[in-house]
Order: sequence, then C-alpha cells, then structure tokens
Amino acid sequence: MSTWAQVKENKKIGEGIFRLRLEAPDIAAMAQPGQFVMLRVSHGLDPLLARPFSIHGVDGGDLFILYKVVGKGTRLLSLKRPGNKTLSLWGPLGKGFDLDMQRPVLVAGGMGIAPLAFAAQRLGSQGKEAPLLCGLLSTKGFENLTGSISALVEATAERGRVTWATEDGSAGHHGLVTHLLESALSSFPDSSPCGGVLACGPMPMLKAVAQICAQHKVPCQVSLEAPMACGLGACLGCVIPATGGGYVRACQEGPVMDAKAVDWERL
Amino acid sequence: MSQPNLAVTVGRDRPVHLKNPVIAASGTFGYGLEYAGQLDLAGLGGLVTKGVSLKPRQGNPPPRICETAAGMLNAIGLANVGLEVFLRDKLPALKPHGVPVVVNLYGESVAEFVELARALDQAPGVAALELNVSCPNVSGGGMAFGCHPGPVGEITSAVRAATALPLWVKLTPNVGDIVPIALAAQAAGADALSLINTLLGMAIDARSRRPRLGNIVGGLSGPAIKPVGLRMVWQVARAVSIPVVGMGGILSGEDAAEYLLAGASAVQVGTANFVDPGSCLRVAQELAAFCQAQGIADVNELKGGLKV
Ligand SMILES: Cc1cc2nc3c(=O)[nH]c(=O)nc-3n(C[C@H](O)[C@H](O)[C@H](O)COP(=O)(O)OP(=O)(O)OC[C@H]3O[C@@H](n4cnc5c(N)ncnc54)[C@H](O)[C@@H]3O)c2cc1C
Ligand SMILES: Cc1cc2nc3c(=O)[nH]c(=O)nc-3n(C[C@H](O)[C@H](O)[C@H](O)COP(=O)(O)O)c2cc1C
Ligand code: FES
Repeated sequence: MSTWAQVKENKKIGEGIFRLRLEAPDIAAMAQPGQFVMLRVSHGLDPLLARPFSIHGVDGGDLFILYKVVGKGTRLLSLKRPGNKTLSLWGPLGKGFDLDMQRPVLVAGGMGIAPLAFAAQRLGSQGKEAPLLCGLLSTKGFENLTGSISALVEATAERGRVTWATEDGSAGHHGLVTHLLESALSSFPDSSPCGGVLACGPMPMLKAVAQICAQHKVPCQVSLEAPMACGLGACLGCVIPATGGGYVRACQEGPVMDAKAVDWERL
Repeated sequence: MSQPNLAVTVGRDRPVHLKNPVIAASGTFGYGLEYAGQLDLAGLGGLVTKGVSLKPRQGNPPPRICETAAGMLNAIGLANVGLEVFLRDKLPALKPHGVPVVVNLYGESVAEFVELARALDQAPGVAALELNVSCPNVSGGGMAFGCHPGPVGEITSAVRAATALPLWVKLTPNVGDIVPIALAAQAAGADALSLINTLLGMAIDARSRRPRLGNIVGGLSGPAIKPVGLRMVWQVARAVSIPVVGMGGILSGEDAAEYLLAGASAVQVGTANFVDPGSCLRVAQELAAFCQAQGIADVNELKGGLKV
C-alpha cells in the first residue's frame, strides 16, 4: 500500500537539481543505502506511473531524495512546495548495497551521488573509512550541491571524505572519476587491499568501473537504472541482461548488483 | 444503510464465488506473492496470475515498458517461470493467503494449451483458468489465435475437454468485430469471458528516431483505454449469456461500477496496481461506498443496469 508523505522541503541545490525532504517515518526506519522508493509526482492521470528514486538519506522520520529534472515528472516534482502538500510513495524497495566489508571505495557519477552519499554516511557511522569519489561534468551551477554533499558526508561520518572530479576542470581533479578510482585502488597496499567498490552513475561509467575493478580483482557492486512500473518485481518491465543469458529485475534482484552478474555487452 | 453485499458469482455450471467483484489482472500482479507485503490478498475478489507457459520464457529485450498519456505500453513478451516452477513454488505459496487464484495460460499451439490445462486440472488451489488467446506481444500464438472465431472456438473446446475447472477466455480488443469471437468461445464451452486485453500501440522518440520499446510495438493499458473496454464489454455482454469479466483502465470504484453497468459480472484491475499497489482493495472499498451512497443493497443490482 502506498503511504502519503508530507513535503517538508523541496530545495533547489544546483542547476536543475533538487533535494526533497519527505516525512515518511515507516520508510525512513527501514531504508538501507541503495534501496529506492516509487514516488508519484502528481495525483492526476498524467503522469500516471510512479517514478523510482534512490533514498538519499534519512533524518529521524524524514526521507531525503536528491533528483535532477529530466522530464515531465521531475519538472512537476520540482514545483511542489512544502506545507500541506502530500505525495504518495511506496518503499523501501529493492536490494541495497552490501556494506559488510573493510576498506570500501565509493564511486558516483552525476545523480549517482544520491544513494552513495547515504552509503558513505552509514559506512562512516560504522567507523569505516569510506572515501567517496564523485564525478560531475562541471561544478559550475552546482556549488551548493558539492558543498552540501561534502558537508552531509563529512558531518555525519567522522571519517568521511569526498573527492571531486570534473570533466571541465572547474573543481577537483580535471578528468573522469574513473581516473580517481584507478589511483585510489592502486594506493592500497597489497597487504590490505580495497574490500569492495560501490558505484552508481551513468551506464558507460558503471561499465568502466566494473572493468577497472575486474583488473584490480576488487569486488564491485553497481546500482543500475531501468524504467519501472511496479517496483515490486511483478510487472517484469525493468529487466537487465544477466550474465549467462536471460534477465534479472532491476527492482528486485537489483538495483544494486554484483558487476559480474550483469551482461554489459547486452546492456 | 448497512454495508452493501459485494459478493458475486462468476459462471453458472462451474461457478466461481468471489467476496467482491474486484480481481487483480494478469501480468500486473505477478504471481500475487509480490504484492503480499503491500496488501492483504484475502481482501481481493481474486487474482489472476501472470500468463504461465509450458516452458519458462525470458521475454522481450528491454526497454519493455514506457509511459504514454494516461496509460502505458508494455511488451514484456510473456516472460514467466514456466509450468513446473509455477506448480512447485508459486501456487502452493499462494494457498495460505486464502484468495481465489485464476491461472492465466499461454500456449503457442492448441496442444500446448491442452497440456497446460491438464496439468493445472490436477493442481490444488486453482479457482479457474483464464486462456490468454490475446497477447499482442508474441508472434506465433496469442493474438493470432484470438483474432478469429475459428481458432478461439477450437482452443476453447480442446481445453474444455481437458479440464473440469471453470474456463474463462480472455479476448483481444484488436479486432474489427469482437462479438463473433465471443460467441465462438461461448459455443465451445467457456464459462466466462475476460476482456479487454491491451490495445496494440507504439511510441516513438522523435529525437533519437527510435521506438521506445525494444519490441517496437506493445500493448496499451490504463485509463486511456477505458472507453474502449466499456464499449466492448457492453457489446459482448448483450450478445452472450455467460458472464463477462470487464477490464481496461479501472482506477476507482466508480470505474468498476461503470463496467458492471455495461454488463460485467466482475472486473479486473491492471495498470492501477502500478499507480498504487493497494489499488485493488481501494477499488473494492470505493465500490462499496458508491453502492452505499446510491442506496444499492447488492452490487449485483448494477450488472447490466445501463439505461439506454
Ligand atoms: C532504482 C532507480 C533509482 C533512481 N534514483 C534516482 C535519483 O536518486 N535521482 C534522480 O534524479 N533520478 C533517479 N532515477 C531516475 C528517475 O527515476 C528518472 O529520472 C525519472 O523517472 C524521470 O521522470 P520524468 O517524468 O522526469 O522523465 P520522463 O519524461 O519519464 O523521461 C525523461 C527522460 O528520462 C529518461 N528516464 C525515464 N525514466 C528513467 C529511469 N527510470 N531511469 C533512467 N532514465 C529514465 C527517459 O528515457 C527520458 O529520456 C532512478 C531510477 C531508478 C530506476
Ligand atoms: C505489464 C503488463 C503485463 C501484462 N501481462 C498479461 C499477461 O501475461 N496475460 C494477459 O492475459 N494479460 C496481460 N496483461 C493485460 C492486463 O491483464 C489487462 O488486460 C490490460 O492491462 C487492461 O487492463 P488495465 O487497463 O487495467 O491495465 C498485461 C498488462 C500489463 C500492463
Ligand atoms: S518494476 Fe515491475 S518488475 Fe521491476
């Protein structure tokens, strides 16, 4: 059953990027990093279907969603103002990140930052050092986003650390986030290697991350996207090609999957 | 006024008793188990499983779904676990939920439909069979059968001979005249008719110049198709003497009432399950409230009550 959640904040924190704070105590209590919710952006018939969004974090009974305006639904969502506005949603859904590892490295591309900031917080609160590598095209127009992510991760996780890469060199490393990953993985001593990479971002980036991890023999978990209708494993609309043939459901066997279980060639 | 009666019976010779007329539609409710954490399945009139075939099917390449104005297109390609796993894992797991289970069947030939029906005839916990002779997303069988009275009659009578279970035949709307097909199914021994399946459609991304579905074409469902569903249910219900289970775009209790007025004995709710996983129960509750507000003591009073 879907629940109704009050919009407590819907704040623009970058060009076309918003952070939504919803009062959803039942979902917040159960949420694990990498899981998502299905959120309806309007009560009407168009758009009809709910949209999947990663859980960006929780604060008490509140749930955060970090989203980018890409189409009709997200545009409507960006117009919601706090107050007596309520939205319908269901979750938490899907398989999240397995955080049971030593010396993880987190890699985010673009909106992939949404679930990974949450993972970084959780790992940090377990006392684990969890460097978060973030790639953006540019930080121009996104100063608030980068600032708020760094503050979020570094404040809640004592040992959190955020490193940025931008393709235009406007901040941090000038180049791809995968460069940061390669040097991060190489910097681990052989005696205590990286225990696993957690990644979320555009498909080409995830594919590259999976390749780098395979070369370094480091386990890699990727969070994948697919169009979804039910989010519950029922409609079979969200499938991802699986290694060895056939498909798996992004909403059920994913969205977080072992990179080796994904057939990257057919994706 | 006291609570109206919502219980309905679908079929005469092989009746299926439902506590309310709202059934979850095939393909939108998985095997039911996927929704068990979302709502109390026992509150449903019934549920129809995803179409089951003899062998497991992987289905079509993605993307398999895309949203359209007040609806969606799907081209799942009847992906399913196959008969063996269905009988071993899905059907027994549904039993404790105490909900009538209608098994939707998909075969590529008459012989396959018969083999499926035989196997399910022996399985405990099947309330009825629903023959999918109308899926638009697979070549070979499906809609190819469903478009002509001859093959529909042939499959129906072959399956009729293979099972004592109530037999519902699900019809496609992608035909010029649905009435002769409905009559053929009735003559061949169908206990009820389910309609409508999805309308064949297509969506294009003009910028990339690509179809939005991997299968290029797919089936349209949701509120956008309700007028077509109502029209066809009305046409068929007037022409046949067996019950009609109506569907297409039902989101609310009032939508369900419209189908009953058009002549349906029960309804199925499909795409609405994606709008809210609790939709089937909500539709049943709203239907009760509608009856109460209208001073209707028994939901069966609505059936065929259209004033023309
Ligand atoms: C598990 C999961 C988690 C997600 N988490 C986030 C998140 O934290 N923040 C965020 O901003 N977005 C996230 N997304 C993507 C988000 O669901 C889409 O951006 C959203 O559905 C677009 O809706 P729209 O109505 O604005 O766009 P539409 O008008 O529906 O489409 C606009 C464009 O977005 C593309 N699109 C539509 N749906 C998806 C989708 N599910 N995945 C990728 N592209 C899509 C379309 O192909 C089209 O190009 C996630 C998707 C999944 C599957
Ligand atoms: C994703 C999806 C999968 C479906 N799969 C099946 C199926 O396996 N067998 C079948 O008979 N109908 C299938 N249908 C059709 C529905 O059962 C129903 O007839 C149709 O969607 C119209 O109802 P609605 O508008 O309420 O969704 C499917 C529909 C959808 C949206
Ligand atoms: S979204 Fe329906 S099965 Fe994954």
